[in-house]
Amino acid sequence: MSNPLSRRSVLGKVGAALAGLLAAPAAKAAKAAVQKVFVTAGAPKGYDPTQHKWRMAIDANRCIGCGLCAEACKTENHVPAGPYFRTWIERYIITKPKPDSGEARGEVLVDSPKGGMNGFPEPPVPKEQIQHSFFVPKLCNLCEHSPCVQVCPVGATFDAPDGAVLIDPNYCIGCGFCIQACPYGCRFLSPVTKTAEKCTLCYHRITRGLKPACVEVCPTQARIFGDLKHPAPDDPLQQFYQNNRVQTLKPHLGTEPRVFYAGIDKEVR
Amino acid sequence: MPPQVFRICLLAVGIVGSYLVARYVLTPPSFGQYGWYRGEALAELASREPVYAGKLECGICHPDEQEKLIKHEHKTLSCEGCHGPGQAHADKARKDNIDKSSFAVCLRCHEANPSRPKFIKQITVKSHYTGSKCTECHVPHMPLEVP
Repeated sequence: MSNPLSRRSVLGKVGAALAGLLAAPAAKAAKAAVQKVFVTAGAPKGYDPTQHKWRMAIDANRCIGCGLCAEACKTENHVPAGPYFRTWIERYIITKPKPDSGEARGEVLVDSPKGGMNGFPEPPVPKEQIQHSFFVPKLCNLCEHSPCVQVCPVGATFDAPDGAVLIDPNYCIGCGFCIQACPYGCRFLSPVTKTAEKCTLCYHRITRGLKPACVEVCPTQARIFGDLKHPAPDDPLQQFYQNNRVQTLKPHLGTEPRVFYAGIDKEVR
Repeated sequence: MPPQVFRICLLAVGIVGSYLVARYVLTPPSFGQYGWYRGEALAELASREPVYAGKLECGICHPDEQEKLIKHEHKTLSCEGCHGPGQAHADKARKDNIDKSSFAVCLRCHEANPSRPKFIKQITVKSHYTGSKCTECHVPHMPLEVP
């Protein structure tokens, strides 16, 4: 019977461990060298999508309807001219109820001329008839259970590990299923590329450490953006969660949007 | 083994084999890196160049203007909100590749509109001032100072 701790076996094990230690970095270097081949030139280096969890939140109390966000989004993302928007602003006008109607509120009027890009004209009803009115910035709701991801027949759209819902433009066949599936109307078929397009949270900006274009230009901080995995000391996103009672759009659909809204009314959908 | 069974087995092996070969050849190398999609797509989407440079970038060459801005009422404003996208200007600073900004920019936020929240100061142009420039009375970088 051989001794399990014989000189030969112990020396063999130590040798194997040493060889393993030496081989591990070599294997890692080889793997990195191989992976380099697949990295697209120009992509920001050192960005690991598994180390971030990006979130956007909307404080509608602070939105003044200037439309800078919608305009910046168009410019930043080269969104085709015309009625195509990755983000836009809606104006909600709730009129006073007719006298003696016994109703709490009147009609709900919603408009978004050119996505609010050039601001908003005078309201369609006289000021005296308005019960209250407000602006709501809209964007991809970044659903936890995205209907758009579920219906894509070619798996071109996906939930990235850093919280963005993205489209692989090389895989998209432009069938438009996702555009019908999105309950928030956040997607469109680009007339230029003939593929579906949507808010990417300005993926090319956030991977470089910049804020999305709409958040960058918002003058009143109605749009709040942050990283849940690396919150800054006075993170605006954490403060937003602490200081506001929030809600999501169309919660009854079970899509579980990750974009939280503060200061919106029940009419917003 | 009866020959018909052998032929069926051969066919089955052929079908499964051709599927495996096709999968091996046609699956992109980064498929499955993060999930059931091409991991490389993330890097491709990230590779586009920004058009808006960001407030930090502006502060490298214009720290004095930015210092004024952050000490006054307009501290939450981004430079590029009024002056337009500035990455081209940040790459190669010229006078003609950045907006000087105009009064239309002021009115974008400050024109009276019943849908606007009350905290924002609003004016009706006709009753406020009929001159040509807001900057005759206001300094945009220090809005509460009088020139």
